[in-house]
Amino acid sequence: MTKYILRRILLIIPLVFSITTILFFVLKLIPGDPLAFLEQQSTFSLTEEQREAKMEALGLNDPLHEQYIRYMRGLILHGDMGRSVRTNNPVTYEILTRLPDTIVLALSSLALATALSLPLGVLAALQRGRWLDRLIMFMSLFFVSMPAFFFGLILLLIFALELDLFPSLGQGRTFTAYVHSLILPAVTLSLILIGVTTRMVRSSMLEVLSRDYVRTAHAKGVPGAHVVFGHALPNAMIPVLTIYAGQLSGLLGGAVVIERIFSWPGIGEVLVSAIFNRDYLVVTGVTLTFSLLVISVYLLLDITYAFVDPRVRLE
Amino acid sequence: MASETVYRLEEETQEQLPSQSFWRMGLRRLMKNPLAIIGFSILFLEILVAIFATQLAPYDPYEPNYANNKAAPSAEHIFGTDHLGRDVFSRVLQGSRISLPVGLGVVSIAVLLGVPWGAAVGYFGGLFDMGSMRLVDLIQAFPLIVLAIVVIIVWGTEMYKLMIVLGFVFSIQYTRLVRGVVLSLREEEYTLAARAMGASHIRILFQHLIPNLLNVVVVLATFHIPEVILLVAALSYLGLGAQPPSAEWGAMLNGAKNLLRFVPMVTIAPGVAIMITLLAVNFIGDALRDALDPTLRN
Repeated sequence: MTKYILRRILLIIPLVFSITTILFFVLKLIPGDPLAFLEQQSTFSLTEEQREAKMEALGLNDPLHEQYIRYMRGLILHGDMGRSVRTNNPVTYEILTRLPDTIVLALSSLALATALSLPLGVLAALQRGRWLDRLIMFMSLFFVSMPAFFFGLILLLIFALELDLFPSLGQGRTFTAYVHSLILPAVTLSLILIGVTTRMVRSSMLEVLSRDYVRTAHAKGVPGAHVVFGHALPNAMIPVLTIYAGQLSGLLGGAVVIERIFSWPGIGEVLVSAIFNRDYLVVTGVTLTFSLLVISVYLLLDITYAFVDPRVRLE
Repeated sequence: MASETVYRLEEETQEQLPSQSFWRMGLRRLMKNPLAIIGFSILFLEILVAIFATQLAPYDPYEPNYANNKAAPSAEHIFGTDHLGRDVFSRVLQGSRISLPVGLGVVSIAVLLGVPWGAAVGYFGGLFDMGSMRLVDLIQAFPLIVLAIVVIIVWGTEMYKLMIVLGFVFSIQYTRLVRGVVLSLREEEYTLAARAMGASHIRILFQHLIPNLLNVVVVLATFHIPEVILLVAALSYLGLGAQPPSAEWGAMLNGAKNLLRFVPMVTIAPGVAIMITLLAVNFIGDALRDALDPTLRN
């Protein structure tokens, strides 16, 4: 088992290395000079000497390969991702202060989506072919077809602007205010998941319900509810978990858009504003963080599988 | 249970006489699905609207009219006007020319690129295979939208560039899928028979293997078309896809937030347009998946 985990982790190292390298060079190709952008956005302008000094301080005058080696060395030895041109803060600081908010947003929408799609999916499977099943399936198609950013704007219009029940932007400072401001973005983001997971739970449940052990359980007189929740559901959850891991990257991508709508100060918001400011070390850092998150979840999933199913680790 | 299955099988066999191809049977099942018919009708209407958008639109979709901006819906402007005074209804009609063609275009690029690629690496294996799979890992490590954003800012926001990039990124999924299927089809007896009769590799790939895996490709494509339409709309919403003054529906929503309280129609009209399109595509996709996957039926 340890050997399997070690091997999986070792396989990730070249992957992360190539991702970082590609990102570094590709993002250097962004047209436009970050300092020029900085000047455009603010009232001051730099003299030629100040400009030169700033370029020197940021190391932007060095040959590309030296910049690359410095970046990689900083990253590997100190976890340093350089500094933001705009705020002059370390990129890691920008990321670490904002990442928790994105994770809170993603996890709460995950919880919300699960709380809705699990019972709906199970219900649809049990009522297969009847009107309730059809209704749930139709609803899930409807959810899949709803653009999250449009849904967000509509929620904003109804609940924040018209009814004034929720704040229309930003994040509350106290705990209750924080939760209060989290509700609309989390509901919006959960929409991305609900449709897909409901269908997944349903089809996985249908498959399990036709298995022999379920019939055996019924035959030996186990109460119906216990067969469904005790015998079938846990087994049906395995493929659903895989879908969850796959949805994570969709969830992070969705967060980029949703955070924009609700001005939720997460890492997606950092990414979008860094792009508009040509602050490419921040773009590199955030993109790298995203891919690290995705890779770690896949790794975690693989390891979980290896625990559950010994065949996997012997492959 | 067992006898029931036998009975159903017999019924099935009789229904399929005289012998029909897999695709014809699928098409017949598809046409029996009411949701699919609704989906096709919506798309047909939408294609008509897209073709005749200029004739149908009461106003020029790009012509600003500052004197009458942020107007509420009225008899002259049924969806009102936006912050520049452009007629929202005309713009929504114009937008139908973008979303659907872009969605179909991207998925076509992905299929044309990914299927032969996946078939080749699955069939020949070796270093090419290994390299391709590492590339797949690499691309899958990014959230799609983030990857698209990075490429857009480096390469530019023109729609054709976005289509090429998304086509390539989505092709990866076909590569992976087709590779897996080819790995198993390669061992089938008909492949062996074809080889024994002296068929070339190219012939085996294009005549024997690819036709036999098109159904899984179609199923994957039915998931991707709505995904691409959504993604392009989301990117345009962020200001990174279709650029102003484009009437792409997502782009129309960009900046609509500030107008939300005053002229909600500027948000609602393009949003509902995207939703109806996606719903139609998903209706068809869902029915097609049912029609092409015999194991899903009963």
